[in-house]
Amino acid sequence: MKTIRCFSNIVIRPAGRLILAAALLGGLAATLLAAEPAAAAKKTGPAKKKLTGSELYAINCNRCHQERYPTEFNSAQWQTLITHMRVRANLPAKQAKEILKYLKEEAGG
Amino acid sequence: MKINSRFLGTTAATCVLGLSASPRSSAAVSDEDFNALKNVVQQLQQAHDQDQQQIQKLQQQLGDTQTQVQKTDAAVQAQSSSTIRNALHNFTMVGDAEVQYAKTFGGATDPNGNPHRNGFLLADFAPIFLYRANDNVLFEAGFDMMLNNGSVSGHENSSSTSVGISFAQLDYVMNDYMTFVGGYMLLPLGTYSERAAGMLNKIPDDPLGREFLPGAGAGAQLRGAFAIGDSGQMITYSVYGANGPSSIDNTALAGSLDLGGNVGLLSDGSTGNLHSAPSGGGRIGWFIPWGGAHKDLEIGISGQSGVWDDAGDHYWSAGVLDASLHIGPSFELKGEFINSWFGTTDAGTVHPWAVWAQAGYKLAGLNLDLPVISDVELIGRYDKESNGQGTSTRRYTFGYVYYLTNTLLFEGDYEWLHSNDLNVPANQLIFQLSYGF
Repeated sequence: MKTIRCFSNIVIRPAGRLILAAALLGGLAATLLAAEPAAAAKKTGPAKKKLTGSELYAINCNRCHQERYPTEFNSAQWQTLITHMRVRANLPAKQAKEILKYLKEEAGG
Repeated sequence: MKINSRFLGTTAATCVLGLSASPRSSAAVSDEDFNALKNVVQQLQQAHDQDQQQIQKLQQQLGDTQTQVQKTDAAVQAQSSSTIRNALHNFTMVGDAEVQYAKTFGGATDPNGNPHRNGFLLADFAPIFLYRANDNVLFEAGFDMMLNNGSVSGHENSSSTSVGISFAQLDYVMNDYMTFVGGYMLLPLGTYSERAAGMLNKIPDDPLGREFLPGAGAGAQLRGAFAIGDSGQMITYSVYGANGPSSIDNTALAGSLDLGGNVGLLSDGSTGNLHSAPSGGGRIGWFIPWGGAHKDLEIGISGQSGVWDDAGDHYWSAGVLDASLHIGPSFELKGEFINSWFGTTDAGTVHPWAVWAQAGYKLAGLNLDLPVISDVELIGRYDKESNGQGTSTRRYTFGYVYYLTNTLLFEGDYEWLHSNDLNVPANQLIFQLSYGF
């Protein structure tokens, strides 16, 4: 009878392999089932809110460079810079508009 | 019933007496008082009539003004909806500047056989001029003014100052999903060339393999993005036609490939490029954020192809896979896999390729609350290239970025180089002060 020798002194026979595989599968299934309610709870949780201009700014701009403070430029300059970055970084129009709105509000002039 | 009749009778009699008594009371007002009162009433009547006339006059004026405003609004609306819009010509300048110092180690020599020296390698000023005509039209031009000093002593002719255009392009935002770009454009082969400013590179040297690709090209491009849902996820695209690589001497020899010399005045006085047709290319990318900012994955595939020799017999092509991953505000991993192929008359098809991967970790993620340590980011990169003609190089880089401010960075790196090219120095220590503005 073929056997598998693990950790040099533990011997597992073929039938034992089946049992071990079943136990592992059972454990995996139990883990997944245990995780399911949490996932379901997430699905039924509060509806996703629309991302704000400041969130979109953090998501899109910070992946290439350090964030620039809104007060570093005035509103007209931000308008130009966002047009530049919309082209350079391929930003979707609505996201670019939300980011610009946020920056203009925070720039304050 | 009798009582009620008497009560009603008494009440009626009282009323009659009251009525008969009142003329006597009114008879007490004199004619003089009556006339005075009459005059007052007449004056009030006249004032009322005048007020009415004034009100009518004001209403008339209001109506005229409203008509005028409506006409003006209509004119403004007609003007704004016409195809020709007034330009505002807003101007903004951004860019970056660098100072670099390098020390080389090992026995390698430069192409002239001299040992490599140490010193301040370069001072670079790279402004980007942005002219915005209106919300849809932007002209942008990037320059690179660089003092590249290859010799410390200054007695050799190896130092140089160069002024070049990195890009000069007109952007026209056609609609929410498409922008037209024309001019000398940064080419979206991978992402590095479009995100290569000094303050964006956390390592002073470019990754190996970028020299196998043209960084910019003269041509036209359509690009844009489509948002997927409200999570920030998007698909991005770029499609372009550009002059593409050419031959430096009209031949298709392997050593004649010129990735950058694709436009200008030819030796015979004609304009154009030394190959028979432009190249075409593009990139498509997928950006997937999850859980808000600082958690995202971007993957992209890009390529370009076109003839490069004057006879139009041989193609130059490239394909690039790129990826960038952020896990939290402190960790970043990004890289590219670059392949290019070009046919030649003397070496068959040459296949340069390269791969690089770079990781960074900001020590602020350790929450040590130490002012200097928390402003440091540790950087590592592995890159490897083969030029397809027998030369291959591997490099390991480890270093840091110290953020003096959000736009002023002090970078330091040590590079371990392994190459069968004797002109490549063994190892290098590089420091760079980089400022973005």
